[in-house]
Amino acid sequence: MTVNELIKKVFFIEILQGLALTLKHLFKPAVTIQYPAERKEPFAGSRGLHALVRDSGTGREKCVGCGLCAAMCPSQCIHIYTSEGDDHKKVVDRYEIEVLRCVYCAFCVEACPYGAIVLTDHFEYSGYSREEFYYTKERLLENWDKYMAGNKGKEYLERFWRPRAVDFATPAPAKKEERAKQ
Amino acid sequence: MPETLWTVLKVFIVVNVVMLHVAYVVYFERKVIGHMQARLGPMRVGWHGLLQPIADGIKLFFKEDIIPSSADKPVFYIAPVIGVIAAIASFAVIPMWEGFSLANINIGILYLLALSSIGSYSIILGGWASNSKYSFLGGLRSSAQVISYEIAMGMSLVGVMMLSGSANLTDIVNAQSQTWFIVSQPVAFFVFLMAAVAETNRTPFDLPEAETELVAGYATEYSGFRYGLFFMAEYAGMFAMSAVATVCFFGGWKGPDVWFLASIPGVVWFLLKIYGFIFFYFWIRATLPRYRYDQLMGLGWKLFIPLALANIIFTGLIKLL
Repeated sequence: MTVNELIKKVFFIEILQGLALTLKHLFKPAVTIQYPAERKEPFAGSRGLHALVRDSGTGREKCVGCGLCAAMCPSQCIHIYTSEGDDHKKVVDRYEIEVLRCVYCAFCVEACPYGAIVLTDHFEYSGYSREEFYYTKERLLENWDKYMAGNKGKEYLERFWRPRAVDFATPAPAKKEERAKQ
Repeated sequence: MPETLWTVLKVFIVVNVVMLHVAYVVYFERKVIGHMQARLGPMRVGWHGLLQPIADGIKLFFKEDIIPSSADKPVFYIAPVIGVIAAIASFAVIPMWEGFSLANINIGILYLLALSSIGSYSIILGGWASNSKYSFLGGLRSSAQVISYEIAMGMSLVGVMMLSGSANLTDIVNAQSQTWFIVSQPVAFFVFLMAAVAETNRTPFDLPEAETELVAGYATEYSGFRYGLFFMAEYAGMFAMSAVATVCFFGGWKGPDVWFLASIPGVVWFLLKIYGFIFFYFWIRATLPRYRYDQLMGLGWKLFIPLALANIIFTGLIKLL
């Protein structure tokens, strides 16, 4: 044992260093956020509760019922039921998400060719029953109105899911004649 | 008769002041350790959590008092009470300011050492009576630990007694009017400080209740107010040990004798010094990990006891010359 080590041991130098460190931290500000009173703004693009995009033109969902999101979903919590409406158009009858099974991977948002589903930054939801977390199409559209009001939704999709200057309007189905031409 | 009444009143006041301190020292501990870990500590009950100790007390008081069916009931009942009595009775001999101590007896130091030993009975009996493995291990560890460190503590105070020529605590304080004994007995002070931490079962010597190994050690089977009594005993014991350290090494109620500081009453100095020691307890709790059991024993027998003995011999030689 060298003299240096001996001095270190006798005078508890390392313990004193530890004590100095804790004392220093005593006067540093705490990192705690007093949650319900103070809240941290979620980062832009954070993945919270789901919403179906409401088309500002038609006032209905943008979703066309292709089922890509449901196919991509790793926890298989998206259920889509479609039927044939008049004019042989596909109609989305039910679009339902079991939020309690969702793992918030946002694969559904990635998969959607129309930018019709988003994850909002609303994450503080709670309830007393499972049924409250079974979101139907109407409730998902309400979520869009509530948490992606104004330009927020459009910005979210442009910034995080598509290159800029992409039109997210649902493309009008091509006329029969046009399709025949192609 | 009025004399007796007056004494009873004094006892009542001292006990209440101690209990209030015990309640708020828990708050202080949670705050200090919280801030050392970059947290805030209690913040919700009252302004900055100031009513937290009261809320905790009410909660403990109304919790169900569970007694294990295989417990040794009378011992189980009495164990925490012994601890509280021993811890609070220590304050009887401590001089809090000039001429004030509930009992100014000649063997003050012996009385304090005796009570700190009795306090360990509460832990041993509580661990035994619970009839649970964890409690029993906690109690056994406590008995071994207290025996080892009691010796070092008693011998570290011998130097102080030699210098002051008395075991009366008031005399010891008066002997420090020139220099505090921390200056002339630094080794004894160091041994006493460590032994006091070990005696009160605080980190890094909190093996009797090591929560990572023994759930809650001797207090595992206790709940409600009986658990609260153990808690009270521990914190009152910390206060008692801090008071002894203040009286024996830091000049008791005496403050610096310069201009306006001289006019501050002695009890303020006394309390400030105690708070300093209490802060030290929390400070090392936030800093150091727990010792392993053999390390604890090695430290006690191979370091502190020889150090204390050497200190006695050295002090004796200096006194002879």
